[in-house]
Amino acid sequence: MTDPAPTPANAPVVPAKGRAHSLLGEPKVWFCAMGLTLGLLMVIGLLSLIIVEGVSVFWPRQVLELDVKDASGKIQTVAGEIRKEQAKRDVSPDATIHHEWLFFTGNKDVTGSAFRFVDAQAIADQRMPKDIIVAERMEYGDSIFYPVSLKLADGTEIAASEGSFLAKLRAKIAEGNARRDQIHTIEADQIGEINDRVRKLEIERRKAITDDDTKLLAELDAARADVQKEYETLAAKAGELRKQMSADVLNYRLADGTARQQAVGDLLRVEHPNAMSWWEKFGVFLHNGWDFLTGAPREANTEGGIFPAIFGTFVMTLLMSVIVTPLGVIAAIYLREYARQGLLVQMVRISVNNLAGVPSIVFGVFGLGFFVYSVGGSLDRWFFSDVLPTPTFGTGGILWASLTLALLALPVVIVATEEALVAVPRGVREAAMACGASKWQSIQRIVLPSALPGILTGVVLAMARGAGEVAPLMLVGVVKLAPSLPLDFTAPFIHAERKFMHLGFHIYDLGFQSPDSEAAKPMVFATTLLLILLVVAMNVAAISLRNHLRKKYAVSTF
Amino acid sequence: MPEDPPKRSVPERFIASRATLRLDQLMTWLIRAGGLGIIVAVLGIFVFIMAEVIPLFEPARFKQESEAAVSSGRPGATATPITLMGVDEWAQKPFIYRGGAEIALADLSKNGEIETLPVEIPADTVISTAQVDGKQNRVILGTADGRVGSFKVTYTSTAGEGGKGQIVTPSVKVESFEAIGQPGKPLKDVSFGDGGAAKVMAAIQEVDGRTEVHALCIRQKRSLMGAGKPAVVGRFDLTSDLQGHPVRLLASAVGDALLVADDRGMVYYFYFTNGTTKELRQTFQPFADEADPTLSTLSYVFGDVSVVVCGATGKQEVWSLYNQSVTDGSAKGGETVRRYGKIKEFPPLTGAATFYAASQRNKTFLTGRGDFASLRYSTTESVRWEGTLPFTVARAVMDAKAEHILFLDTDGGLHRWKLDDPHPEAGMKAFFGKLWYEGADRPGYVWQSTGGTDDFEPKLSLTPLIIGSLKGTFFALLFAVPIALLAAIYTSCFLPPNIKSIVKPVMEIMASLPSVVLGFLAGLWLAPLIEDKVPSLLLGGLALPLGAMAVGWVFTKLPVTTRSKVRPGSEFWVLLLPVALMTWAAWSLGPWLESWAFTVKDPATGGFIADFRLWWPQIGHSLSASDWSFVRWLGDVFVTDFDQRNSLVVGFMMGFAVIPILFTITEDALSNVPTQIKAASLALGASRWQMVRTVVLPVASAGIFSALMVAFGRAVGETMIVVMATGNTPVMDLNIFSGMRTLSANIAVELPEAAVHSTHYRALFLGAVVLFALTFVLNTFAEILRQRLRERFKFV
Repeated sequence: MTDPAPTPANAPVVPAKGRAHSLLGEPKVWFCAMGLTLGLLMVIGLLSLIIVEGVSVFWPRQVLELDVKDASGKIQTVAGEIRKEQAKRDVSPDATIHHEWLFFTGNKDVTGSAFRFVDAQAIADQRMPKDIIVAERMEYGDSIFYPVSLKLADGTEIAASEGSFLAKLRAKIAEGNARRDQIHTIEADQIGEINDRVRKLEIERRKAITDDDTKLLAELDAARADVQKEYETLAAKAGELRKQMSADVLNYRLADGTARQQAVGDLLRVEHPNAMSWWEKFGVFLHNGWDFLTGAPREANTEGGIFPAIFGTFVMTLLMSVIVTPLGVIAAIYLREYARQGLLVQMVRISVNNLAGVPSIVFGVFGLGFFVYSVGGSLDRWFFSDVLPTPTFGTGGILWASLTLALLALPVVIVATEEALVAVPRGVREAAMACGASKWQSIQRIVLPSALPGILTGVVLAMARGAGEVAPLMLVGVVKLAPSLPLDFTAPFIHAERKFMHLGFHIYDLGFQSPDSEAAKPMVFATTLLLILLVVAMNVAAISLRNHLRKKYAVSTF
Repeated sequence: MPEDPPKRSVPERFIASRATLRLDQLMTWLIRAGGLGIIVAVLGIFVFIMAEVIPLFEPARFKQESEAAVSSGRPGATATPITLMGVDEWAQKPFIYRGGAEIALADLSKNGEIETLPVEIPADTVISTAQVDGKQNRVILGTADGRVGSFKVTYTSTAGEGGKGQIVTPSVKVESFEAIGQPGKPLKDVSFGDGGAAKVMAAIQEVDGRTEVHALCIRQKRSLMGAGKPAVVGRFDLTSDLQGHPVRLLASAVGDALLVADDRGMVYYFYFTNGTTKELRQTFQPFADEADPTLSTLSYVFGDVSVVVCGATGKQEVWSLYNQSVTDGSAKGGETVRRYGKIKEFPPLTGAATFYAASQRNKTFLTGRGDFASLRYSTTESVRWEGTLPFTVARAVMDAKAEHILFLDTDGGLHRWKLDDPHPEAGMKAFFGKLWYEGADRPGYVWQSTGGTDDFEPKLSLTPLIIGSLKGTFFALLFAVPIALLAAIYTSCFLPPNIKSIVKPVMEIMASLPSVVLGFLAGLWLAPLIEDKVPSLLLGGLALPLGAMAVGWVFTKLPVTTRSKVRPGSEFWVLLLPVALMTWAAWSLGPWLESWAFTVKDPATGGFIADFRLWWPQIGHSLSASDWSFVRWLGDVFVTDFDQRNSLVVGFMMGFAVIPILFTITEDALSNVPTQIKAASLALGASRWQMVRTVVLPVASAGIFSALMVAFGRAVGETMIVVMATGNTPVMDLNIFSGMRTLSANIAVELPEAAVHSTHYRALFLGAVVLFALTFVLNTFAEILRQRLRERFKFV
């Protein structure tokens, strides 16, 4: 490039004498500007909506106590958080518009629904009580209440007015949380491992029965009895722990005065949102965010964390990039360096390029038909016939999902690699050849290293595409709740046949398959934010990598 | 020591080591093989999907498997010879009944070895007529003394030796006999419809040289204590309703209706309400125009809703029950009644059909004449197989799995033919044509792949899905194209480079937003938000472009000192505030517009309600009631219902997915216009807009066109947004306020549940093929256009 030509943008608008500007099309320029303004506003609006909604999920909200007049004029007291304010128009000739609040009242176990609409006109009084508590529970979502007393297992009762009440309650909850972890370890890990052994024994037993091997059968039965005993010990231990969970009881009272009690073991956390300072709230915010990232989902995914989905997305994307990188690079090297450039290669190149524009669902269809049913079905018949008709590889799994997405992303990598190979200056290759390097040597030592950043860009773009894609996954192995992770500490460590959870599918499932989509909304927004951060971060990395490279090559031409 | 210089001009050190050469060769080979392999494999995707689709379009395979000569039992003492045949599910042991007190079973696994089983009909019963009902292998008997009875042949199977094949054991159970019509007079034809709790029996009886038709209805009360005793609740003499002599009967399998055909080819449709009252619902004459209007066949196809009628001349039609409005001035005038109407017409046979067999699994039926047989599928109105057999057929029967057809020829030979037709309901006509489905009152394009009952007729028309895909795409492009093109023109031609280097990546990042996110926002955030704000959106769509132009116009009227403060290329900043203001104004003025223009009369109070959601369908109704067919068509196609999750929402959100792609490619195309010709245009005195309009846009038009095609491809294949933001109902209209179901959403929703290699599964693959072909062709075309463009301006 020589010095930049004066761009039209810098050219001043000089109207001919006596002619109006409007005749020169200035309003139309403004019209075009509106397109850009709208486009940018849309992008920024969308992103800020997701960020605001996604972040505010973790921020503790103020709890309002309202006195609401019902139709008969009776006053009813409710406590909760305002989630939405909207104008509602009556479907009537006068069409009066009045405001209403979507009010999160919690206590789903009492009222049946965690939300209610409150007409702004019906509110007689409102206040923000300092001592009201918002508690996260194992079941029925959050509860909003006034504490009354804590009744411990040894019979002592601590009233809420005592100074040590909250500290004691929190200590007991911490104890409960530790105990819950213990139970989880016993039930999921240890008993899960026993189940695994039982299943293997069962398969051997079936084989022994068909072979009519009575000796082996007796051995297996004995082994089975041992395992059963082991299981019973563990189950008893878990049962004991469970019993302790309901030993301490919290007495509380709802805003309308109803007295209730709850086992402390079912509480996860208690907060005083109205009494907290900004820093305290920030602490809770971080804590909530951390729980969200590392926890397991609860209550049909509408509560708890999304760790399995993050992990599933991560493993799948990683597996996909491991598959797609060598394939894409080899194909690109072939197309660019080895194949004879001509019409045929040009056609192949266009076809491969256009595969990137084929709808992702088509790849899903292929993945289901080819990988799952054809390849997976054959693998099952050859290697896993003893567990048939339960499919092992003949059903969706993380391996098939990764392969499908690898195909989907292959054109991206091929195109990026080709571009990077083209960008390597001809002189460099010729120099390598002149020094006596063979073709492969020059590719291996000279061309590939200088094309590497470009290839990386392609791989990162491919990963971003893979991480955000959902439609094909729905066909080849993603599930709403996977019982176990695709990578764990039981042999063979990588379970390529397992189904997995995925952030994108999590959004779809929460938003559209959950029974209470309003209650699931915060979780969806938070998950959305995470997914977008992930994908945007990958894209920004790829784009800046690309720009960086362009600059680098711009000066290195011979 | 001076020595002779080496003869060879190349010293040893210039020779590459053998290892290097080998590695080089190996890598060359590896990359060639690998690269070719990968490319072939990737392109093999299309081949694989096609391979799944091709079986859909294959005709039926039908060939002889075995034959046996059968001496089929003793004939009974009937006036006219009876030969009836039925078969088990595995087509192993067909039975032949010839009117006596026994059936003959030919074991086809043992070369037709005959075994007989007694039929224990009451003593002194003389059978005068019999019919077979293939569904339950029931033989219906009519006696010479005016009684109707039946027996059932039941097959049980046990696994054969070594788990191979089945050993089929037949047994015969005689059911009760009922007196019908005049006692003591012989029956000439019988029919029995068994609907479990309701049964209907009918017979044609010869009484002193006259033929009469009698029917009786049997009801079985069901209570908590179990099924009660069946009792006859009604006896009817139908003779007086007929105009000719009855020749053929067909009782419905539900047990509440009867079809009678007379010797003039008239068909009478009787309905028995509660089994106690009879009603002649309809008479029709299928072949009234023919020289000989008599019928040779009157039989049900699977599901017992449609009857196949074949005339004496060989014409063949399917008549089916559906709701019709009665206009013949009878008592029911104006109401809709389920009546028979002609829905299909098949290619004619050369004369009256002599045999007929219907499948128990799908709408296939076999018909023919003499040695000519034709296998037809009712739903798609297609001939699956047709040909001349090496024998003359006396009887034909199809097994319950529709895998075999047995023929009994006129010489007593039994032939077993294997029918291999896994996808009879497929075909171009089924996927893309208009079909008249059972129960519908007109032909239509319908996608409904699964139903509640076994005799459900799958409706696999891809047309509503393609229309849905195009509809979503159209509205997405309608929204995205103006914004993206305008933004691209502005960015490319008017924006200073330093701002452009920020704006462009920002728009590109938008391209990477996962569509599931957009879909979620569309369905859960946008749809409820704009549901009652349509007038605001209308205002906004009008106000924004006009407002922007107005701002521009006002700007040109400002004194030059003010104008010079706005540098060219920063208009979009200046517009931020007006755009925001106009959006806010449109949003808040919407309800006012609604109360002024979109009101409907409330039938309850007589007042007017301002609600666009009610107003829109009402407009549709009034358009559909119009006198002009064009207006009616407009109403049917564009103005129907108002759904919350509608095309407007989809179009808006899909716009988000399309705008970045469209923007990026268009911007590239515009920026590739050589600077020289732009500069030349400006130098000749064009204003910047004139330069864009007369030079940049024409030159880049091919590139813009290719961008449009790529964007079209992206929108057509978009899955998650449509799955989440539409109601996923397959509809055929283009109404912006209703939902749709697209090809891609259909695959995502139904493929996980489709049985492998079923017609449904393959039809979904066909949908994928359509999507693939559409996008691939479009993209290839766009790519070629782009490359041509690049070539053209390479040397400018």
